[in-house]
Amino acid sequence: MIITKNKVRIFAMAAILTLSLYSCKPKLPVEMDLSREEFVLINQDSVEVTIPEILKNKISLAGYIFTHCPDICPMTTHNMYRVQKKLTSEEDILFVVISFDPDRDTPSVLKKYAELRDYDLNSWQLLTGKKEEINKLLDNVGVTAIAADSSFTESGELNYYFLHTDRISLVDKEAKVRKNYKGSTADINEIINDIKSLE
Amino acid sequence: MFSFILFVLLFTGQQDQIKIKDAWIRPGAQDMNTAMYFTIKNNGSVTDTLYAVKSKLAQKTEVHETYSKDGMMGMRKAELVVIKPKSSFEFKPGGHHIMLIKLNKDLKSGNEGEITLFFKKTGEVKVKAKVKKPDIKKGS
Repeated sequence: MIITKNKVRIFAMAAILTLSLYSCKPKLPVEMDLSREEFVLINQDSVEVTIPEILKNKISLAGYIFTHCPDICPMTTHNMYRVQKKLTSEEDILFVVISFDPDRDTPSVLKKYAELRDYDLNSWQLLTGKKEEINKLLDNVGVTAIAADSSFTESGELNYYFLHTDRISLVDKEAKVRKNYKGSTADINEIINDIKSLE
Repeated sequence: MFSFILFVLLFTGQQDQIKIKDAWIRPGAQDMNTAMYFTIKNNGSVTDTLYAVKSKLAQKTEVHETYSKDGMMGMRKAELVVIKPKSSFEFKPGGHHIMLIKLNKDLKSGNEGEITLFFKKTGEVKVKAKVKKPDIKKGS
């Protein structure tokens, strides 16, 4: 088989083209776009905030929880905290916790949840709000939370739990969700690598 | 006398049968819920069953299990936990846990709490545990 100079050139050009196409392809595709609609919520300091406004110009990690959950939800926020502790101080990431139990998760309840766990409220936003607004946001991000098992205390108070999506979302600087992880068991090294790929 | 010795032997054997280790409590705020975790080791030659739990830490204390359904996570009461002879059962994040419902006060890192476990064979076993944040190097 005779390999001419032309054949070598064609092969080299094809290789370069393939490589350049591969490098242009976004590593993390857009899963959902949160910049198209406004969601009015309230943070742990009772300050009204809106999504997408708080998500713009910063990479964010968002977790979905209810604070009466003693097991899965604290595991999710603990994984977010672990990501924060492992990142360098130069990386300016926003950590957003969205409650799907706004009836019980008032701003003060959310604040106490953060304080007990030493979450730095300069970089964490714990959000609640009107039920309709929360549900609209959950529908947009594909998170489901259904009131499920319940019990009564001796004083007759109802205590209910949710069957819910277990999720952390990575959101880019344009408020677009780029990847979802299983919140309670997320691999924090994978999240950190994905954050770096968006910077 | 024989009965007394037999009673002492049986009693001592039962107490040695069940051992609790690595107990810890997740921090939680007053009126909220939190979880306690540990490992039960059954050193005996017969199966034992955890059937109840009590604590003054909360208004109600139950054994719960985390479960998965339709891709979602939930939590429900678990009535009995059977521990076979020469085996261990781990109460761990994402699995079985002691559910402390409506805490009577804040449980902060460094605090200590006690619960009582009730086993069919062994009887009452008191468990003391420190409140601590999960290890930063591990997910939980």
